Formats: sequence, C-alpha cells, structure tokens
Amino acid sequence: MNSLQVLFIKEFRESWRSFKFVWIPLVFLLLGVSDPLMNYFMEDILQAVGNMPEGFQMLFPELKPLDLLMASTGQFQLIGVIVLIAVYIGTISRERSSGTATLIYIRPVSSTSLFISKWSVAALVAVLSAVLGYAGSIYYTSVLYGSISAQAAIAMIATYAIWLLFVMSLTVALSAAFSTGVAATIAIIVIPLGGMIDSLIGSFWSISPWKLVNYGVLLVGDKGLNDYYWKTLAVTICLTIICIVAGIWATRYNRSRTKV
Amino acid sequence: MSLLKVEALTKKFGSKRSVDELSFTLQPNTATALIGPNGAGKTTAMSMITGLLQPSSGAVTLEGNSDIRKHIGFLPQYPKFYSWLTALEYVEMTARLSGIPARDAKKRSETVLEYVGLGKDMKRLTSTFSGGMKQRLGIAQAIVHNPKLLLLDEPVSALDPIGRAEVMELLKELQKETTILYSTHILHDAEKMTDQVLFMKEGKLVEQGTLLEIQQRYANPRYSIVFAYEPEAEAFAQSYNDRAVREGSVVTLPINEQLPTMKALMTLLSSSRYEIIKVERESASLDQIFMKVAGVGEFATSTVH
Repeated sequence: MNSLQVLFIKEFRESWRSFKFVWIPLVFLLLGVSDPLMNYFMEDILQAVGNMPEGFQMLFPELKPLDLLMASTGQFQLIGVIVLIAVYIGTISRERSSGTATLIYIRPVSSTSLFISKWSVAALVAVLSAVLGYAGSIYYTSVLYGSISAQAAIAMIATYAIWLLFVMSLTVALSAAFSTGVAATIAIIVIPLGGMIDSLIGSFWSISPWKLVNYGVLLVGDKGLNDYYWKTLAVTICLTIICIVAGIWATRYNRSRTKV
Repeated sequence: MSLLKVEALTKKFGSKRSVDELSFTLQPNTATALIGPNGAGKTTAMSMITGLLQPSSGAVTLEGNSDIRKHIGFLPQYPKFYSWLTALEYVEMTARLSGIPARDAKKRSETVLEYVGLGKDMKRLTSTFSGGMKQRLGIAQAIVHNPKLLLLDEPVSALDPIGRAEVMELLKELQKETTILYSTHILHDAEKMTDQVLFMKEGKLVEQGTLLEIQQRYANPRYSIVFAYEPEAEAFAQSYNDRAVREGSVVTLPINEQLPTMKALMTLLSSSRYEIIKVERESASLDQIFMKVAGVGEFATSTVH
C-alpha cells in the first residue's frame, strides 16, 4: 500500500500545516474544562457580577462527577462535533471542485487509498480532540467534585472516540458522494439533529449510534455497564464500516467529477 | 507500431455528443496538436484518454494495453496544486503515486524541477507561485515518471508571450524523448511543434494530416490586382468571366493552370493598356484556415483580400 502511505503523509501535512491538529483539540479542551469550572464557581461568579437583590438565595444542586461529564459530553456533541464536520466535510468534494484532485486521480491510485488516507487523518484529529477534551473535563471534575475511576474514564473516552470515528466516516463518505454544500446539509441533519430526535423520542428504542455516547458516559456512574452497550457499540462499528465502504465506492464513482 | 490508439471514442452528455466517434493513432516520438474552437470537445477527449472520464463507447489503448494510467503524464489547462505543499514535496508525491520507488522519487523530482527551471524555487510553497511557474510545475509533475505519452491541455494559452515561448521551448526539448499530444486553439503554437494535426469540430474529427498538408488543402492561393481606374478593373474582370471576383478596383483571380506563376500574370498585364497599382499573391493564413475548417465559412472568404 505504497500509495496509501504517500497520500496519508499528504493529508497529514495538510491538517498539520493548517494547524488543525492544534486548534480543534483546543476547542474540545476549552469545552471540556468549561462545565466543571463554571459550575463550581457559579456562586462566586454570580456574587462577583453582583446586582443580586438583598437576601437573594439560590439553591445549587449537589453535582456528582457523572453530571459534569454528562454536561461536557453535551458540549462536545453540540459544538465540537459540528466543528469537526464543518472542517472535514469538504475534504474530498472541495478537492474535486477546485481541481487539485485531478492530478491525483489520473495516476494509478486506488479509491481505497484515496478515501482511507482522508478518513484516517480526520479520525486522528477527532480522537485527539476527544482525548484532550475529556482529559480537561476529567481533570477538573476529579479535582473539584470527586474522583473518577481511571478504568471507567478510559472506557468512556474510548467509547466517545468510536462515536467520533463513526461521525468522521459519515462526514468523509458524504464528502466523497456529494458536493460540499449538499454533504454539509446532510451531515448537519443526520448528526446533530439525529441526536436531538434521539433524545426527544429515543425512549422508544434502545440501540442507536447516538445513544452510544450516553451509554459511554454512564460507564463512569454507579450503574456502570448498560445492558445495550455492547449491541449499540457493535451497531455503531458496523455503520462506520458501511460508511467507509460506501465512501470508497463513491470516491471511485465520482472520479470524473473532478474539474479538469 | 503505433503508441496510442483511439478507436471510435464517444462521450454523450444526455443527447449531446461532446465527442463523437473520435479515432486516431499516435506514432512514438511525435508531437500531435489537437486543434479546434472552444467547445469542440478537446478537453473531453483528453479527459477520456487520461481515464478520468469514462467514455460512452469506444476504446483507448497504449501499446495494446487499456490501463494506461501508469504511462501517461497529464497537464490540465489550469493545473491546481495543494497550496500547503512545496514544489519538491508535490512532485515527489506525484512521482511516488505514479509508481517511482521512494528512494528514487526525491532525486528524480529534483532533477525534473531543475530541468523546468524551478531549481531555486523547489522549497517554496506552491501557493506563492506565479502563473508561469505553476505551468512549469505542472510540466514537472507530468514528466517526473518518464511517461510514454504526454497529454497537455492548452499548455500555453494562459501564458504571456514570454512564458509561452519558454514553455514551447521546453516542450520541443521533451518531444525528442517522448510522445506528445496537446490541444490548442492557437495555430501559431501548432506551427512551432507538430508532426500531425487533428482538427476537431463539434466533437468530430474533421481534418487530419501534417500542418503543411492542411495548409495546402485550404490555402486557396490567388492573385489580387489593384487597378488605378474602376472601369479598367471591370473590363479586366469581365475577360475572365465568373472566375474573377471584383470589388471596386480590386480584382482577385484564382491561381490555376492558365495562371500558374506571377510572371505569367505580369506578362499578361504589361501587354495590356491597364494602369496597375499593385499585384499580389495571397493565400489563406493559419487563422483563416482555422476558421474555414471550423466552418465559419463566409467569414473566412470575405476576409481574404
């Protein structure tokens, strides 16, 4: 797989030289630390900002580590995932429309190498972001709210990383299949809106990729392993593989759409 | 034994045939110009030969082989490079993708970049390159793997006269070692470097041959005589019946068996009583031939004066 290696280096350089390996994980880190810190210092912040009426009393809920990890995860899901989608949704389609792909496509390069090189770099950035984001969140949560078992934390991060692998495989596959605009629309509908639908009426079913994140965070809690965790994980991994296969096929099918 | 064989290549977009039953062969170490007006299907034909575009029907074979990607170099009309790579990194990447082993790729890339005149700039990012430099880089990536066939889509149209001359010079050098097929709508470029001309119009191959052959076929040589007085011109034209064309005091006479040489015409005219201002031998210019083959008929003849 000589061409995969060459293309991987090319993609890696792209993400490295445009600082994607730095700023996207930093976004996740900021999102991760914001909830534990904000919640802990909320009372101080409100007092410092002032303008509270005399004798005003506020009741703050007693937060457990799990609640804060849930909150951080919500941030990742709402903002972090959209950042990742927005950055990588054009990874193939934009190369086609600008014509930079032309000089690659005329060479004896397999669609598998083309797709996997794109996906693996996007996945690398995503996993790095998940690790850094959760590291920040777990650090402040454990310092301010109570300890978290290392084993459970690793399991949670790994679960979230697998979810992000699914998100990135869908993103890159959509980029291979459609133009940037169409791909972005579909990705935004499927991932964040799908998550909303799943949380609104998701009580009717127990297995969906969107639930995987929730089950992953629950690993840290007292109840631990959810009954449906493994099935959900398996479904997500299957969907990831389906996305990759479809993406490779779309890359091959759309070769001629590159601008000459 | 021909190098490239294109057989009945056709591309349909809906009901429109962008390329229609295109067939030709290329001999090794020749340069062939694919000529035609904009929209004639040159780029579509090129895309099919490179394998980017799947033909609706027909076949392209290189030495009998249908997977030709390893043996071709391609330069699109507007080559686009990754802005975050340096010229050397870019050419090295394309060399390796074309199957050059890693240990040779860098050395080979440096040699090629030196050759196209980018030796000093090979460590710069491609985004800082000017149009002419990008065209050279495009040539570098097209020749780095020593392809048997070099396909160039409008290699010089976007360049200024200096860049154009330099690139043509480069291509002439390359022609000694490889087979070149390039498209252009500028016949003067074709004149500088060509063994064969393929003329496309509305997706079809309408003319084929050496440039000299085509020039002779369409030259339509004639004499143009400017008379001092219009009545004399009229009288002279009448003596040739409908073969002479008169416009004011200018008469055009086709060159034929009766008037093969200028000397014959001069003898004829000097023995007459007409007052002559100018006698000239004319033939169609390359541009006029282009228009004639492209089917802009009336325009081609009315401008011949």
